Amino acid sequence: MYKLRGANACGSSPSLLLLIGPFVCLWGLFWLTPLCNGFGLAMGISVHSGSSYDFIRGWENFIRASEDAKFLHSLKNTLTFVGGTLGILLPLGFFLAAVIFDLKKRWRPICLFLLIVPSLALPGTLATLFYLFFHGKSGALNQFVTIPLGLDPINWMTDPAWILPCLIFQAVWRWTGLITLLLYCGMRSIPQWQFEVARIEGVSSWGRLRTILLPGVRHLIFFSAIFLTIDGLVSFSGAYGLLGGSGGVADAGLLFVTYLYQVAFPGGSGRMDLPLASAMSVLTASIATFCALFLIRLRNRLGIDQ
Amino acid sequence: MTRWLSRSALLLVLLIAAYPFIWCLLSSFKSNREIHQPGNLLPSSFDPFAYRLLFSGDFIDFGEVLGRSLLLSGGQALLATLVCSAAGFALAKVGFRAKPLVFVLALLVILYPRQAMSLSVFDWMSDMGMSGSLFGLLLSGAASGLGVIFFTQVFGKVPDELIDLARIEGRSLGGTFFTLIPLISPALTTFAALHFLLCWQDHLLPLLILSHDQLTLPLALSRLSDSSFRIPQAVGLAAGVLSMIPLLLLFGLSFRRMRTALSEWVVS
Repeated sequence: MYKLRGANACGSSPSLLLLIGPFVCLWGLFWLTPLCNGFGLAMGISVHSGSSYDFIRGWENFIRASEDAKFLHSLKNTLTFVGGTLGILLPLGFFLAAVIFDLKKRWRPICLFLLIVPSLALPGTLATLFYLFFHGKSGALNQFVTIPLGLDPINWMTDPAWILPCLIFQAVWRWTGLITLLLYCGMRSIPQWQFEVARIEGVSSWGRLRTILLPGVRHLIFFSAIFLTIDGLVSFSGAYGLLGGSGGVADAGLLFVTYLYQVAFPGGSGRMDLPLASAMSVLTASIATFCALFLIRLRNRLGIDQ
Repeated sequence: MTRWLSRSALLLVLLIAAYPFIWCLLSSFKSNREIHQPGNLLPSSFDPFAYRLLFSGDFIDFGEVLGRSLLLSGGQALLATLVCSAAGFALAKVGFRAKPLVFVLALLVILYPRQAMSLSVFDWMSDMGMSGSLFGLLLSGAASGLGVIFFTQVFGKVPDELIDLARIEGRSLGGTFFTLIPLISPALTTFAALHFLLCWQDHLLPLLILSHDQLTLPLALSRLSDSSFRIPQAVGLAAGVLSMIPLLLLFGLSFRRMRTALSEWVVS
């Protein structure tokens, strides 16, 4: 039995099932079952030949994963990648949204649409463009940044110190538009009277930014942080496009999912060690969940209630 | 002064965001030698040889790849919108005992992402005989946790009086849900477009689940840029340009509705 909000009528379960059922069925089929299957694989249970006590190797794969230096290196790279992306993208997105919000109305959609163009490109296209346009001795990064600063041109993708910053640059390039759009829409929904009061009281533009715009979109900044953290931890296609499925020189750009792919399938290291890869996957998905829960807890502690 | 500086910074970011794509479009008419001089914007001639090569079928059947990606992303976006909006309506407007549980299920999909367990999804789908199945891949992404939370928020803003009205007219629960659909059409368009975008760009699951001859656009692009095939680079750029057209059209046509939906329904 269910009860509709705002109505006194009650209904029977079949019609409610029709609404909830498809989501729950798909959730069970493509989320819960693969999760259990992944855990089973990580525990060494063979799902192909039927479960048997002989196949169970307990926590051995998790111990192997935690002792794999390359796995730990890929995790460190991934966390740096996520931290770098968040650290640049959130302030940049907020700044751009505030500047666009300050523009005349007719310019706003044009600026927002131009900004989201990189988000609409396939990560493979972004990688190709990075290689052909930004990268290289005569590429835009060297021509407009390195050489004007009086430095020697950098070979961005072969210098281990610069591979990870290049991946971060690509992620920032890709997501800036959508994050700016979200924060701009948040600013648009701030009640107009707050701006009127600020204007009457002669609040400066910095004061307006700090006391109206930032508190008005704080909940969206946290939402974006959660989204970008999870997306960054499972990021694959950008690094795959730039580094062709490898980790680059000295594995400087080896991200977790790329390594997972190398462990699980031939073509990478050719190990085809699915149980070990599953154990790594379970460990990392747990880290993703932990990070997201930490952000939610932080959000609640700061009293951001929306 | 501050305003002037911040607007200059915006202009610079806009240039970094959009200029490479103008370069990409023009470079799809260039030879390899011209492409490796990124300072040059215009090609020596506008010969569409790369587009001819792309559709000649010598490297990949690009028309088929485009059709497959459209079918997969369009189908998944439509199904996800229907499934998630129905669940979101139930969570926002119907009182039932398992409501907190369904909300937690949706939250779990967000917190424990499907991409992180791609290997087990692949293994599980192989066990179900769905390896190489486009329909299986389409189904696997239709339960979006973000979608359910999004539509719960959207339906939460619909006045309860409208539900009363629908019930007085004798509509069933499903009928009430479908009556409200036109009211939330900007939100439906927004979610469908965003889901389409994410599915369109998905690389790993199609790589694992589909067979070698069932390429989607991300897979085709990585094959075209594989140097071992010695394909002119303009062909990869042409494919990149063509792969953006459906999304530019979709977002261009629904951009106003998206901004309205995000401002009025979701983020407020």
